[in-house]
Amino acid sequence: MIALLNAYRYRMLIPVNRTTRVLAGLTAALLLALVWAAASGALGISPWEVLRGQEDPFSVQVWWQLRLPRLLLGVAVGAMLAGSGAAMQGLFRNPLADPTLLGLASGAGLFVAVWIVLFQDSGAGSLYGQFAAGFLGALCVCLIVFGIAKRQGGGSAAVMTLLLAGLAINTLAGAGGGVLAFIASDEQLRQLSLWGMGTLTNALWRTTALALVLIAAALWLLMRSARELDLLQLGEATAHAAGLDASHLKRRVVIATSLGVGICVALTGVIGFLGLLVPHCLRLWLGPGHRLLLPASMLGGALLLVVADTLARTVAAPAEIPVGLLTSLLGGPYFLYLLMRRNRAC
Amino acid sequence: MLTLHQAGLTNTPAIAPLDGTIRPGELLAIVGPNGAGKSTLLSMLSGFRSAEQGELHLDGKPLRAWPITELANRRALVAQQELPGFDWQTDELLSLGSNPAKSLVAALLNDLDLTHLAKRSVLSLSGGERQRVMIARGACQLLSRCSPTAKEGGILLLDEPTSALDIGQQQRLMRQLRSWATQHHMAIVCVLHDLNLASTYADRVWLLNQGQRIDHGLPNQVLNPATIAKIYAAELQHIEGGTHGKPLLALAP
Repeated sequence: MIALLNAYRYRMLIPVNRTTRVLAGLTAALLLALVWAAASGALGISPWEVLRGQEDPFSVQVWWQLRLPRLLLGVAVGAMLAGSGAAMQGLFRNPLADPTLLGLASGAGLFVAVWIVLFQDSGAGSLYGQFAAGFLGALCVCLIVFGIAKRQGGGSAAVMTLLLAGLAINTLAGAGGGVLAFIASDEQLRQLSLWGMGTLTNALWRTTALALVLIAAALWLLMRSARELDLLQLGEATAHAAGLDASHLKRRVVIATSLGVGICVALTGVIGFLGLLVPHCLRLWLGPGHRLLLPASMLGGALLLVVADTLARTVAAPAEIPVGLLTSLLGGPYFLYLLMRRNRAC
Repeated sequence: MLTLHQAGLTNTPAIAPLDGTIRPGELLAIVGPNGAGKSTLLSMLSGFRSAEQGELHLDGKPLRAWPITELANRRALVAQQELPGFDWQTDELLSLGSNPAKSLVAALLNDLDLTHLAKRSVLSLSGGERQRVMIARGACQLLSRCSPTAKEGGILLLDEPTSALDIGQQQRLMRQLRSWATQHHMAIVCVLHDLNLASTYADRVWLLNQGQRIDHGLPNQVLNPATIAKIYAAELQHIEGGTHGKPLLALAP
């Protein structure tokens, strides 16, 4: 934290090391949060005792099989949602783009729900099926949103259209989910409603391991796009002349975002507003350059989700609040505030 | 050096095939009424729209055969007033698209009278200030990638670079463009609306109307009042004996 504050205070004096300092500070904060999260829960387990083999076998089991995968999934999902938010904002050149607002998450959610209700055979393939459904859902919405953005060209009217399109997709996906709930069996309904609220409870090694690998791949793709996202801010024609292949960049970001967000949604349901909140706050502090903003958003998103999830599972322990409710309670008002400020500026 | 061999665009907006050469060290002005195809021509010269007829060659190699990143070492574009999406600092924005030395950034900021704005957010600048920042960025892209002793300093394509500038800034900018052209052997192509600026500062002029280049050559040949009045549908009075015998055009009351 001190490193963070210093980096902020002496921003002008240490431009060379600023990136390193900020990222190191955020990493340190994330590690601290992880240590705290690893130690707290309905069952008080000390991670040190577990690692030294001095806890009773039941606690060890709980820690290794439930708590650790959950922490890792929290890191991955938080990083993915915030990172994809930052990347989409760069791509649309607008600070209001976000995978939940534009309907990516709910599109993925609808596809996953369709899979659960209509196709799931509860066999070994069901997990991959959920991932694939999430990816396809997010990809479809991404392509629709892009189609609309392309027709509209630039300008603030286009942004409003994008947000309205997101609203329509969210509503549509909600209605689709309602229909599915209507025709689902009792067991499926239970599965749907638990998953739909946005929670990290489903983290088991079986599901988490593959998700971690795929999300890491998506994050890596986004990181590789940082310099190009910077260039794109010049506008497409000027950026092209400065050496940017915009269609290549778009394709890469769309695939990475759809893959990552789709998998997050397939595992955790819709956890809203991380992608809006984190990059926006960090941009105010660090400036718009994606080479710093992207990794910082990923670390910041991971930090926020780990903290939120730990709160969600401890404040009302042994009961658990869905973490998606918590982030929406935080992010919703912030989004309204942003909208009001924007309107005043126009 | 950029050469056009019957290069044109068939899809709307179309550009009729044209020949031409843009040489290092010269300032070429593209003029013509609204909708004549000036910006479209510029985007064809930059390769953003590839020619649908004929060929463009940059330094002897077809424009489309250049890898996009290498092309960026040799030509830069400053499109019409585009607002960057986020709050870039002026000197950060200058460095987008290249990795310039600090001294180059400082020199360019000084060239365009922007030094006092180096740490300001681009979104807080006035239209004219922002326009100069974008022009400085284009020059920065070329100059940071060319060696100072190179025989050719690349091609700088500017779309209405003076549209938001007051007359003093217009003069300083045009003089600066001339000095970049001679100092760095840069070829500078400007879309201009102000015919007197074109007449005073350009080496050559291309006159466009309805997607066709109807005349090209020295300013005092191309910018004659009769043609201009006809093409622009404007009533002019010609003032003889402008600076160094260059034509001056004024609107009739």
